[in-house]
Amino acid sequence: MHPKKIKKNIQKLLKILFLNSLNNLLTILLISIICALLFKTFNWFIFNSEWSVISSNISLFAFGTFPEEQRWRPFIWITSLLSLCFLSIIPPKWKWLRKNLLIAWIGTIPLGIFLLYGGFGLQTVMSRNFGGLTLTILLTICSSVFALPIGIGLAFCRQSSLFIVKKLSSIYIDSMRAVPLIAVLFFGQLLIPLFLPLGMEIDRVWRAIFAFTLFVSAYIAEDIRGGLQAIPNTQIESANSLGLNQFQIIRFILIPQSLRIALPALTNQAIGLFQNTSLMSILGLVELLGIGRSILANPKFIGQYIEVYIWLASVYWLICTIMALVAKYLEKRLKIT
Amino acid sequence: MKRNKGIIFQLIIILSFISIFGFLINNLIINLIRTDLGFNFSWLLKPSSFALAEHALPYSPSDSYAWALLIGWLNSLKVIFISLFLSTILGIMIGLSRTGKNTILNIISSFYITIIRQTPLLLQLMFWYFVGFLGLKNNFLYFSNLFKINNQGIEFFGLSFTSEFSALIIGLSVFTSAFIGEVIRGGIISVPKGQWESFRSLGISESNGLIRVIIPQALPAIIPGLTNQFLNLAKNSTLAIAIGYSDIYAINDTIINQTGRAIECFIILLFTFLILNLLITNLMETINKLINKKKIYIN
Repeated sequence: MHPKKIKKNIQKLLKILFLNSLNNLLTILLISIICALLFKTFNWFIFNSEWSVISSNISLFAFGTFPEEQRWRPFIWITSLLSLCFLSIIPPKWKWLRKNLLIAWIGTIPLGIFLLYGGFGLQTVMSRNFGGLTLTILLTICSSVFALPIGIGLAFCRQSSLFIVKKLSSIYIDSMRAVPLIAVLFFGQLLIPLFLPLGMEIDRVWRAIFAFTLFVSAYIAEDIRGGLQAIPNTQIESANSLGLNQFQIIRFILIPQSLRIALPALTNQAIGLFQNTSLMSILGLVELLGIGRSILANPKFIGQYIEVYIWLASVYWLICTIMALVAKYLEKRLKIT
Repeated sequence: MKRNKGIIFQLIIILSFISIFGFLINNLIINLIRTDLGFNFSWLLKPSSFALAEHALPYSPSDSYAWALLIGWLNSLKVIFISLFLSTILGIMIGLSRTGKNTILNIISSFYITIIRQTPLLLQLMFWYFVGFLGLKNNFLYFSNLFKINNQGIEFFGLSFTSEFSALIIGLSVFTSAFIGEVIRGGIISVPKGQWESFRSLGISESNGLIRVIIPQALPAIIPGLTNQFLNLAKNSTLAIAIGYSDIYAINDTIINQTGRAIECFIILLFTFLILNLLITNLMETINKLINKKKIYIN
């Protein structure tokens, strides 16, 4: 090759890499920083980290202090949930299963409660033995399933033409949205017993679920209201002209459409709820983060914060991602083409 | 006929609401009498007899509970406004790098957003506190006397922050910035592409065009989302209790543990947050008005 051409080519390369703009300089700088960080992290992973804190406590992370010989029960529940997620993302061709997916999802709650609490032939387990991922999932699923219908109801009440219904529901929604979640959970754990008649007691786990439901339903109501407002008025007019009554309009026109529009927001609520169950670790339930805290308090594993936190973060991250994937699939399926 | 139906329906709702409420209040009164606590606020003036590591105004354990609550409120405000400022700056950087042309920056910022948004804030706060600060060596970063970072906290130019405070600020700012970044990205995307093309064709530089042309048009879409994130930030600041920072919630919790006045403290907490929310909403509304005044109307 001609030396002049080589020179020209080198100049061209340099121009692309560096002299073109500040942008490329920034790229080089960022790449070198990332490489240095990656090298350091790998170094730590291979030489300095000790993962025995995770591997020796893996069943504690998953099931808490659930009785050893009964651990197959939460295991079955979690597996069934995961397989249901899998079926939702990659649906098989069977039509009956596709149609009954929603029923299957709702059915996981009684199944979970039966498997966890026992009774009907299974050995009963006290709720104070629940813990770890099982408890986190129980809190998330129960509260979101209870909060959804309440949220829908509140959204309709807020849109209602009846003055008092409208006012009451908007006071409820606005005040719930103004209060931090931890205060509501605190209310659930410490104040609900004060409001109950003498001798009546609610289990701690159910008090937590109740508090989460109160909180999340207000947020869901606002999301659904957004969906309701996005439905064009012509839909209601045409339903009226078809002779549908009020109930039928709500049931067949408004709820399905507003749910579909609000689905992305609802997904965010569900993911937020899943993450927020970690707050219960401050208020005395040993869910996933709570287990992590109690393991770190064990003198045997003292100071291994990074390993435990990275492990917990990856579990939370993984489950949030699964939830987002399921929601994305739902969105795609519900889309009108 | 229909109108009457509505009124009767509302009456039924009011009656059932009152009866449920009355039932609960009745239970509450019975329980309060049984536990010998009653309901009053006179305990607020008694000496608190607990120490606070962090106080903006002079405070000693012999001061009253009310004073301790005020100190807690100031601590909360301090955290909220500093992290509000920091998270906005960080969020703008993330939002811009997410919409910008640089591929590496794009990848980094989307990675940052997925990591931060998919893990619980509480876990992040604990990470920043136990790993980020308590895990540091005694002289991690030392720059004469002007700038120091170690397991005692951050110190620069004579200002010193405790490790709890610093961890809380960093954790809240990092968490909120990921959400703010998405809000800002949404705002910038909402500006039609023609605007970009037209300022480029006029020979305006990229950065100048972004500041003068794109951002002013994106702001109306950004402000409501930003307000929401600020309100969330204020609510999330109550997680300070997990790392031992004495904010308003933590002090309420301590008082409840000492005196058992759960109901009264809860009411105080609710009112504090009502005031805080009003404060932030009004602040954002003023900003919104200022922006709207300066807005140049297109079409």
